[in-house]
Amino acid sequence: MGTVVPSKRQLAWAFDLNKCIGCQTCSVACKVLWPGDDPGTEQMWWMTVNTQPGRGTPRDWESMGGGYDADDKLQLGRIATEEEIGGGWNFNYDEVLHSGRGRDVHLEKVSGSKSWGMNWDEDEGAGSFPNAYFFYLPRLCNHCTQPACLEACPNDAIFKHADTGLVLRDEEKCKGAQMCRRACPYKKIYFNKMRNVSQHCIGCFPRIEQGVAPACVRQCPGRAAFVGFLDDAGSIVHKLVSKWKVALPLHPEFGTHPNVYYVPPLSPAPLHEDGSFNAAGQRIPPDYLEKLFGSDVHGALDVLRSELDKKRRGQDSDVMDALILYRWKDALGHLTRDPAEIVWK
Amino acid sequence: MAQIKGQWADSYRQKWTWDRVTWGSHSVDCYPGGCPWRVYTKDGKVIREEQAGVFTPIEAGVPDMNPMGCQKGACWSELLDAPDRITEPLKRVGKRGEGKFEPVSWDVALNDIADAMLDAIKDQGSESIITLMTPEFAAAGARSFSDALGTPTTDGNAEFQDFSPGFHLTFGLYNPVASMDDWFLAELTLIWHANPVYTNIHWYHYVAESRYNGGEVVTISPDYSPSAIHADYHVPVRIGTDAAFSLAMCKTIIDAGLYNKKFVQEQTDLPLLVRKDSGRFLRGNDLADDDREDQFFWADENGGVVTPAPRHTLAAAGVSPALEGTYQVMLKDGNTVEVEPVFQRLQRQLENFTPEKASKICEVHPDNIRELARKVATRKTKIFIGWNSGKYYHGDLMERSMALLLALTGNWGKKGTGTRSWAAGGWDGMAFMADKGMPGQDAARMAHQARTLMRRLMTMDDPTRTLEQITNHVSAMNPELGGFGAMIPPAFLWYYQYGYKERWNNRENNDPSMKRSFDEYVNEAIDKGWFGSYCSEAYRDVEPRVLFESGGNMLRRQRGGQKLLLDKLWPKLKMIVSVDFRLNTTGMYSDYVLPAAQHYEKLGQSMPSVHHLNWVLTDRAVPPPGNALSEHDIGIKILEAIERRAAARGMTDFTDRKGMTRALTGLVAKATLNGAMRDEEKFYDEAVRDNAVYGILPEGTSLATLREKGYVRWTGWGMAGHGESQASTIKADEVHNPLRWHTEDKLPYATLVRRAQFYIDHEWFLEAGEELPTHKETPPHGGRNRRFQMTSGHNRWSIHSMNMTNRNLLNTHRGEPFVFINDKDAVSLDIINGEHVKLVSDVGETILQAKITPACRPGQVIVYNGFEPFMHKNWYGQADIEPGHVKWLGLAAGYGHLTYRPTSWQPIPADRAVRVDVQKVA
Repeated sequence: MGTVVPSKRQLAWAFDLNKCIGCQTCSVACKVLWPGDDPGTEQMWWMTVNTQPGRGTPRDWESMGGGYDADDKLQLGRIATEEEIGGGWNFNYDEVLHSGRGRDVHLEKVSGSKSWGMNWDEDEGAGSFPNAYFFYLPRLCNHCTQPACLEACPNDAIFKHADTGLVLRDEEKCKGAQMCRRACPYKKIYFNKMRNVSQHCIGCFPRIEQGVAPACVRQCPGRAAFVGFLDDAGSIVHKLVSKWKVALPLHPEFGTHPNVYYVPPLSPAPLHEDGSFNAAGQRIPPDYLEKLFGSDVHGALDVLRSELDKKRRGQDSDVMDALILYRWKDALGHLTRDPAEIVWK
Repeated sequence: MAQIKGQWADSYRQKWTWDRVTWGSHSVDCYPGGCPWRVYTKDGKVIREEQAGVFTPIEAGVPDMNPMGCQKGACWSELLDAPDRITEPLKRVGKRGEGKFEPVSWDVALNDIADAMLDAIKDQGSESIITLMTPEFAAAGARSFSDALGTPTTDGNAEFQDFSPGFHLTFGLYNPVASMDDWFLAELTLIWHANPVYTNIHWYHYVAESRYNGGEVVTISPDYSPSAIHADYHVPVRIGTDAAFSLAMCKTIIDAGLYNKKFVQEQTDLPLLVRKDSGRFLRGNDLADDDREDQFFWADENGGVVTPAPRHTLAAAGVSPALEGTYQVMLKDGNTVEVEPVFQRLQRQLENFTPEKASKICEVHPDNIRELARKVATRKTKIFIGWNSGKYYHGDLMERSMALLLALTGNWGKKGTGTRSWAAGGWDGMAFMADKGMPGQDAARMAHQARTLMRRLMTMDDPTRTLEQITNHVSAMNPELGGFGAMIPPAFLWYYQYGYKERWNNRENNDPSMKRSFDEYVNEAIDKGWFGSYCSEAYRDVEPRVLFESGGNMLRRQRGGQKLLLDKLWPKLKMIVSVDFRLNTTGMYSDYVLPAAQHYEKLGQSMPSVHHLNWVLTDRAVPPPGNALSEHDIGIKILEAIERRAAARGMTDFTDRKGMTRALTGLVAKATLNGAMRDEEKFYDEAVRDNAVYGILPEGTSLATLREKGYVRWTGWGMAGHGESQASTIKADEVHNPLRWHTEDKLPYATLVRRAQFYIDHEWFLEAGEELPTHKETPPHGGRNRRFQMTSGHNRWSIHSMNMTNRNLLNTHRGEPFVFINDKDAVSLDIINGEHVKLVSDVGETILQAKITPACRPGQVIVYNGFEPFMHKNWYGQADIEPGHVKWLGLAAGYGHLTYRPTSWQPIPADRAVRVDVQKVA
């Protein structure tokens, strides 16, 4: 079993769910850069965005267990099946385009899950028309302060990088035991059958080493993603998390102290039975948000609403100005280097 | 930081190395496009791309545009060696559609194609060579023969209905749009007939940020759309009733006295006088034989004197134009008639649209109508509209009603206000290249002077003509003069040759206020010469023989469906050519498929769009694979083949139906300026340098300077494209908002009445009761008794069908075509999430996977478009259940700004709110 050696500093992510538009640019950027076309990574999306409420990916991951209980005792949950992870599809391109069979064949899946995908329940949500509701939730490895995966690993393959707090896996030590997959309550670890190793988000460490922000953050066109050291008072992440307390971890009750934070979603006014606006109502049930982000979510939403209100009354708001992100590079913390400047020897 | 050690770590590091970086973008029909990317190459292969994020801020206090891009761009490089990539010219060897091809040389392919063109000229005339248009910029070069020969290009805006007829009727302009950073300055954004969360991924943030800046966002859509989730309010308007909703807001605003009277008096036709006897505007030639037909009048509210409204300015010159009252005017024959301002007629019309009455139509609570009306009237308001409204049968009425709402509240022509849509420009360098006659910027300068002089001459008969009006006038000449592919409105070709005649004459599918048969309207439009004989009458006789597609996918996109095309059009065609980097459904039904270079394999620019105002370079990172060629090279090769085959057959020229004799020699020399522009890089550099001469790009801009910075911001509009339709001057340190020449400089509009025109007294509009904006129900096209109405829009994951088959992107959704169905409807139909269902209309059926959601309105089904037909079982897709009807009033012309110009006013088919049934697949 691995032992957690706390890092000197902790890199953290923040996602503004009021700006996230579920476009999957972060997911695709990550997929292309890291797993790519490597054999055994077909189902791997280290970064995913799902519609909430929803069953997510892996399907129903929130009920698979893992993390720590109230007494800080490691919990081994279960491993998501390939069917539950979903996707990994390839298609009969050749048959359709080159077999000369015309309309007798059409493009369809020839491999992968039959019943699920990484974004299967996209834009479905919950509620009842006209008061339906949903929002988007980007997820990657939480690079937890108390990573259950690390502690569960029988081969001591997982470590917390001292300078960044990234939770990394020494793939030479990994023997494919997959205890990490059982222990991770966020089910963000995948298994590569071809290599017999588990794999998860590497925090774009090769980029961070060069002063370049992670791809999921730097490539977010919604300008909803932020990265920075939690203790860097100048970083927006620090301010959102520690100063204004408007960014919260997902499922804090899992006990791993995750380092990906979310500005919780506001939503349009619901409609009364007669169709008139219920301006004081909340379309997304507060209970549901509390289930995801803990009871602090109510305070965070109150801050957001009151800061929005300030702006609407013509007053200044540092919170809103930070989230507006007048200068995109401010989202990148200290990692503002343009990768195109790098010349490899 | 401490080194992370291990071979595993090095192998990850190795993935993120490269040996070359070039600028890239995607020269596709994505809007607004303009995303600067860096393209990373290793060992001669493009390995990935990443947004450059290099835009500098424009206006103080407004967020920058970085990092423009999306998920499609983030994996574009995968298409370079995708399974549907084509790298050799392919000749069909099986039946059309079977997909049996064999690779051949370019010479074999192009000799055959050129021979088919020459045969077509002899058989049916040059009008039988039909080139299809797509706004994909990269693809245009392959179509250069249509320019050289003056053969017709069918106007793409009719094929994919990317046109806002109601805004055209109001402003006489092609889509005035603001730059995307202007959205930040809106105090109220109405997302209406648009789904920017899907379609404007790279700049939706400005909407979210305007909200954080104190603005409010309201999404008006039948479904709880993905673009509603970040709004303050969602207005679930019943499908196709947006006009009623908007007119009720107008009614509320007028009744509460909240309308901007000065703006209405100055900018609109609402003070102009209409004759009560005929419903027509009071015109100059009603009063005196020698006065103008396009002189209009108003009454001074101080004293009631009727005077001519100035034609040269919007300024009222001491008159306070009355909006109400009835006035007597003596006509030239001595009779007296009563006249009244349009505004007064509008007020009567709006009696039908009290919030309570409108609520019964649009199913929006009257209190919500009042509350939103009050917000619009008191805030800088923008309508974030796409091209959805124009795809409704009565989309013109919806858009006119929306424009009226903005007019009453003074919400255009200043920052943070107006509408949005699609407008591009700045391609003068390419468009005018062949006209220069010789290489070099001196030649460009001289040609520019000649064009400027020609425009100046157009004010000789009317010195009050504005630049906008001249631009429109020049544009209207295109179909007759040729140039830019001699674009034609395709409605007549479709009607007579593609099999639409029977469909469009189906009274059931048309509005009940269409008093005569569709045929009678078509004949009247032709007889009156409204669309020119070349565009309209010709296709009564001329059968198409050659169909040439570059970058498009007709069998996916043509509303009305493949069956019609394959039954009625395909048999007439002797040669079908698809130029593309991939094999699409149309390619499968082509006789030749010619392999084009992909982005990153050729030089180009991203959509030069008004939304971002940048010229964004996409460079050649690697050469095209196999025998693929850039469209520039393909275009020249086709010209060479035509010359070669014409010479071999002893053909030197031909005469088209317009009586113009066109040479079949010297085509290459003209297009390449005697060979100087044969090379793609030289051509591109020259076009960019010429653009600097034309004032569009900063002085000294060249390919070399673009390669340093990747992009450059425009300095002017140029003459090609929709720049001057923006009616505002580009400023270096300000966001762009259109129509400021009108609101600030008081220059007249480019409409018949020279004001924003809400009253259209064209005889057909009067006959239809549509002289003013009103609401009409969508006709039951698809089948009167069918239970559902299908709506649509662009999907999130592809640019049309272009990258729909990308494996990674397919993995980000269901991986196959699907339809959204309301959860309660699904229960009643016993349909479960994920099962296959059939959508059926009177004209066809398509099979898709069901996706169940409470966000979909009961009675609505949503099919986002772009799926390749070959992704459906039997290959019938969404277009195959759309009848492809056009509203007959699109044929109305011969009236001021109602005249055909490329990409502008013409009949366009409706594909929204098609009636369908949903059936379980056994």
